[in-house]
Amino acid sequence: MLERNGDVVCELRHVDKVYEGAVPTPALLDINLQVRRGEFLVVLGASGSGKTTLLNIIGLLDTPTSGQVWLAGRNAADLSEEERAALRSRYMGFVFQFHYLLPEFTVMENALLPCKIVGARMVEQNRNRVKELLVRVGLGDRLNYRPNQLSGGQQQRVAIVRALANNPELVLADEPTGNLDSKNGFAVFEMMRFMNRETGTAFVVVTHDERLAQEADRVVVLEDGRIVKDEIQRPAVTHEL
Amino acid sequence: MIDRFSFSVAIRHLLYYKGQTLLTMGVVAVSVTLIIFLGALIGGLQKRLISSVTGAIPHVVIRQPERKPIAVWEVATANGVLYLGERVKLQQQKRKIEDWQSWEARLPTFSDNIRAVSPVVEGQAFVNRNEKRKAVTVVGVFPEKHNGVVDIQSKLVQGRFFGLNGGEAVVGFKLADEFALKLGDKIRVVSAEGNVGNYTVAGIFDTGFSAVDSATVFIPLRDAQSLFGVGNAVTTIGLKLQRIFEAKDLAQQIALQVPYETRSWMEDNQQLLSGLRAQSQSSNLILVFTTIAAGFGIASIMITSVVTRLREIGILKAIGATNRQILQIFAIEGTLLAFFGAIAGAIQGVALSLALYSIRVQVSETGRTAEVFPFDLTPDLVIRAIVIAVLVGLAASWYPAWRAARVNAIEVIRGG
Repeated sequence: MLERNGDVVCELRHVDKVYEGAVPTPALLDINLQVRRGEFLVVLGASGSGKTTLLNIIGLLDTPTSGQVWLAGRNAADLSEEERAALRSRYMGFVFQFHYLLPEFTVMENALLPCKIVGARMVEQNRNRVKELLVRVGLGDRLNYRPNQLSGGQQQRVAIVRALANNPELVLADEPTGNLDSKNGFAVFEMMRFMNRETGTAFVVVTHDERLAQEADRVVVLEDGRIVKDEIQRPAVTHEL
Repeated sequence: MIDRFSFSVAIRHLLYYKGQTLLTMGVVAVSVTLIIFLGALIGGLQKRLISSVTGAIPHVVIRQPERKPIAVWEVATANGVLYLGERVKLQQQKRKIEDWQSWEARLPTFSDNIRAVSPVVEGQAFVNRNEKRKAVTVVGVFPEKHNGVVDIQSKLVQGRFFGLNGGEAVVGFKLADEFALKLGDKIRVVSAEGNVGNYTVAGIFDTGFSAVDSATVFIPLRDAQSLFGVGNAVTTIGLKLQRIFEAKDLAQQIALQVPYETRSWMEDNQQLLSGLRAQSQSSNLILVFTTIAAGFGIASIMITSVVTRLREIGILKAIGATNRQILQIFAIEGTLLAFFGAIAGAIQGVALSLALYSIRVQVSETGRTAEVFPFDLTPDLVIRAIVIAVLVGLAASWYPAWRAARVNAIEVIRGG
């Protein structure tokens, strides 16, 4: 189905997720969601509503209890561990609440890590692009700094460029502003919005901050593991970089 | 194949956390130093012990079997009548090898282990000079040949051993002191057979073996043949071997091929050999435990490293690093730590051994010195220590690396 619809980068069909335990805890219930190319989607929900679980399932870091996840025209259930790793490194980018940059690498090297994982050719192909992205997020003069020489907001910007390093179709961000004060948080959010427009990469941003949702193309609201609202606010950018 | 990404992460990590890296390398270095130091010391002590036993004797001796007199009742007679007489004078016959020249030529072809062959005429005699008299062992040799079996030339204090002429003798320094002998002095030697020889002292040696230095006289083979009345024969053939612990087997093998009796140094020194074996075993035990301790050192530091880097590992996995790449990061780190630690340890171990080896003390009044610590430092030992350390490093990082590869990305990231 995905092959026929080139505009969809990721699709969840009837996805359920139940955490097994003494008392099985349902985290997601019958989730149906298509993420379209270039779309900036914000997933809103209270803590415990299942939004991080949703992101992990899209990012192939977690598997659904039932239902299907389609990425790049393939059913995730059919992928080997190696193929899942390859999809994560080539097709997707990740931004987490904490930046998790490697302290022993410079800003430029950290941003290039996803390329390094794939191989030397990938590094050569993307070196200039990554440098350009770092310049655009205002870190052009800090390329050779170490992460601990940067402020929290600057580190998160490096993390965003890292997520975009392999020119992915989809960036998944889990509370990317959660660890920043509101001014810096908003700046980082704006940065992602800007990158989305510039690169045409789809973003799925999980947050509990409703102010940020106003900037999104589309807002999905989760409550107790169910989608209770799915609203398109403005058409997504469709151009290629 | 080594993954470039894993290699660069491993190298960066080692260089960034210098303290931890040096600490781990130190653990490896200390154990490699210990392995080399102990190995060389124990090896050297054993070598010294063995050479104290075998230094002045051939490793294998070939001689005519001893002929024992038989008892009266052992004599079988054809008709049951035994005639006894008292006029027969039994003369002790010298045990000798008449066809020594052909054996001398053939023996080296028996085994590549045979390094030197020396025909010897040996017997007991008295040295007389100015009313003084002393029982000595007179050894008649071809000096150049005999030196391959028992080194005398390099132990000379004065004079010469090689190129000994007829009528010349070389004596131990203790014997020389006892008789106040100088080069050029004359000694008179009377053999047990009653033959007399006069010799000029041409050399004085100090082998460090008391029995040899105080009671052995070397003379040319021909002189000894006439002194002991053995004609053209010799009494023994001595062999020097390359691999001395094969002496017993080789002696048995030669005994099957020559019509004489063979005896190796090992048969005369059973106790020493079992002592050496026990020492080797205990030293191996020390080395095994040292190696295990180093392995645990690396493993525990690597496990700590995995635990403190859980999030980093989680992120790398989340952005697409494969389990194999994560595994390799830690395996490479462990191996590099072990390798460079081992190199540092090897340098220390060699330096320490050489430094202690250079301490020498005088062990004889002739001025001969010997090392206090006898080290047997071989490239083989050093290479073995390094290889063992690297293998242990690889093995010790296996478990931490496996744990790292199994890290669940979302769990550690969520744990943030």
